[in-house]
Amino acid sequence: MNSGNGILGWFKSVARVWAREFRLVFGDMGVLIFFFVLPLGYPVIYTLIYNTEVIRDLPIAIVDHSRSPESRELARMIDATPALEVYQYCPDIPAARKLSNEKKVFGVLEIPADYAKKIGRGEQTQVTYFADMSLLLRYRAALGALTDVQLSLGEKIRGDVMNDLGLIVQSFDGSTISNDAVFTGDPTQGFASFIIPGIIILILQQSMILGITMIAGGVSERRRRNNGYDPMSVDAPAGATIIGKTLCYLVCYIPMALYILHIIPLMFSLPHVGNIWHCFMFILPLLLASSMLGQFIGVFVTERESSMLVVVFTSVVFLFLSGLTWPRYAMSPFWTLVSDAIPATWGVEGFIRMNSNGAVLAEEAHPYMMLWLLTGIYFVVAYVMRRIGFGKRRSETYTGVSKI
Amino acid sequence: MFKIFWQSLNYGWRKLCSRRVYLVCCTLVPLLFGFFFMDLMKEGLPLKVPVSIVDLDRSNLSRTVIRNLGSTELIDVAHADESYADALARLRKGETFGFFIIPRGFQKNAISGAGTTITYYSDMTVFVPGSLAYKGFKTAAVTTAGGVVQTTLVSTGVNESVAGTLLQPVVIAEQAIGNPWLNYSIYLCNSFIPGVVALMVMLMACYTICDEIKKGTSIEWLRASGGSIVCAVLGKLIPQAIVFSIIGVGLQAVMYTMVHFPMNCPAWHMILAMILLVIGSQGFALVLVCAIPNLRLSMSLASLTGILAFSIAAYSFPVQSMYGAIGIFSYILPPRYYFLIYADQALNGIPLYYSRWYYIVLMLFPLAGMLGLGRLKKHCLNPVYVP
Repeated sequence: MNSGNGILGWFKSVARVWAREFRLVFGDMGVLIFFFVLPLGYPVIYTLIYNTEVIRDLPIAIVDHSRSPESRELARMIDATPALEVYQYCPDIPAARKLSNEKKVFGVLEIPADYAKKIGRGEQTQVTYFADMSLLLRYRAALGALTDVQLSLGEKIRGDVMNDLGLIVQSFDGSTISNDAVFTGDPTQGFASFIIPGIIILILQQSMILGITMIAGGVSERRRRNNGYDPMSVDAPAGATIIGKTLCYLVCYIPMALYILHIIPLMFSLPHVGNIWHCFMFILPLLLASSMLGQFIGVFVTERESSMLVVVFTSVVFLFLSGLTWPRYAMSPFWTLVSDAIPATWGVEGFIRMNSNGAVLAEEAHPYMMLWLLTGIYFVVAYVMRRIGFGKRRSETYTGVSKI
Repeated sequence: MFKIFWQSLNYGWRKLCSRRVYLVCCTLVPLLFGFFFMDLMKEGLPLKVPVSIVDLDRSNLSRTVIRNLGSTELIDVAHADESYADALARLRKGETFGFFIIPRGFQKNAISGAGTTITYYSDMTVFVPGSLAYKGFKTAAVTTAGGVVQTTLVSTGVNESVAGTLLQPVVIAEQAIGNPWLNYSIYLCNSFIPGVVALMVMLMACYTICDEIKKGTSIEWLRASGGSIVCAVLGKLIPQAIVFSIIGVGLQAVMYTMVHFPMNCPAWHMILAMILLVIGSQGFALVLVCAIPNLRLSMSLASLTGILAFSIAAYSFPVQSMYGAIGIFSYILPPRYYFLIYADQALNGIPLYYSRWYYIVLMLFPLAGMLGLGRLKKHCLNPVYVP
């Protein structure tokens, strides 16, 4: 099929590739699942997992060697915190350890025998909390609660002593500097509010790459069946093919992006303070870069289903490279470079700040430009691969599959 | 019988070695992932969080506070900003993960007793640096307040040592058992590396079995196993189990001997857990394959559960805090049991007795997988490929 020459012909090729790609996408159940079901379902499942946000009433055991009104007050204060719950009093540490081994408690607080005596004498007393470290989130919850208890108990004791001494100071406990902690982006420090805005960006990228590589695997299979010729392919220049395909994926993903970036945060009351139009502007190069990256990876995929073998596990790698769990400033130069090459890294960085901290597009200029840069780089790479016919040659010579 | 089994094993081995992608997925992917994880977080904790400071007072006391802030290992006072707006803009750009504001008239109001407030902002869009910044800020703010209280007390005539005690009459000392450094690498590698091994085991099991149906070679496969589906499946899965177990135990060896992660139990407890994780994941994959003997759908299901396992097996957010209807799914996944064994044995070193059920459940997964083999055989005898 000759598409004519000149610029008009080129545009016609783009349109034909675009239309054919639509047919390939909508005629393929597997791709439809990746393009639509996965982005629709995954954010809901993930948010439901983490939707309780914070740890409440973590059960702990108390080993009280003091058995005094003061020690009981400490236990009551701990029980009253939202994060901790006194599950049981234990006579000694072995009894508490047994509870801990049975996973009935996830921490043990040991109050020394001279606890009340020392407070009465005006000496410092030390209480020990033994924390289960299998999950750092549990430790974090307990630590925050215990620090608050320690501070307010200290204030109270200090105030009492000053009263008893008859000291006249400016405030109840002599302190003139108060402190006020503000948490931006995730004011309740909830886990879903922290992780979901990042994960949804990864879902956009990964689902698109999975779909594209599955299409590429299908092309490769058809070529093998038809002696190196794919009856579904459109004869078009390499650049027009890549752009036509990208346009198709982009059209599919615009409603998905609306749903993921706007409706999901609304549905679950996640942080969502940024300007949604800025977010859309920002996400455009992410979608483009993901499409180019997917077409590049697709060159190496020879079968529809093997795309899953090679793409699925990268989600975990990309999640960590994005800096959501392990911040990028602490990565070695090598891993920083690797993470620079992943569109989702910049997507996550920019989007969480826009969505949760209310940053505007201008403030995310660096990630935004990096996304456009990656779009350009992956376009060139995919273009070169297509021009030299890398994937085509592979599927022609690759006969190992049908041999056995 | 033995000869047929041998023949089936032979067929499985040859298939496994026939394609590059199999070898990559069995060996290279878990190994590279293990290296990636251990190397990425080798520092343990991302200390020296970049933060900025807004000093509106520029007094003797405010400079002391800033020096105190700068001396903690938690944060790095990377920038000094002129105003709240500047500091917030910097935070939004991602240059810092928090800022600390010392208000106007800070020294004067602190010493004269009029009262003043230190405000600090921590960016919680990224949890770990945000929390570390918060911890550093809070420590600095509390100690500064304490210093002023001590001065006030001493000046009103309280003995200096009593005044010192009064700052912190009760200290709650946290003992982080098993991981006193709060090392992130120990915490995450021990769950995520086996998680990826389990994911690859499941994907490979689904792929290699259903690929026979897709290619129409399943009849040949059954013939090589003397028509016995049990024999055929064992012949296919045992070679993979051996390869994955070697890789998994090798990764454990690196974690516990070379990188010196805590291991407070005899080595065989963890080795057994890894082998059972591999076999259990194969059993889980077999359940999926028998339920839906279609290459694409069973692979999709294996990917779905394998990836969700990282969240729902509660590597970071505890099952006890999830909704009950969601948390219950954590117990159908083999990686969950491996994680519980790891926490009991390697991390906490408690008696094996308390982990007995986890080992037993891992052994039940392969049995569950065997239940649907009749169905799989029917599909193998009549291979239909649905794309």
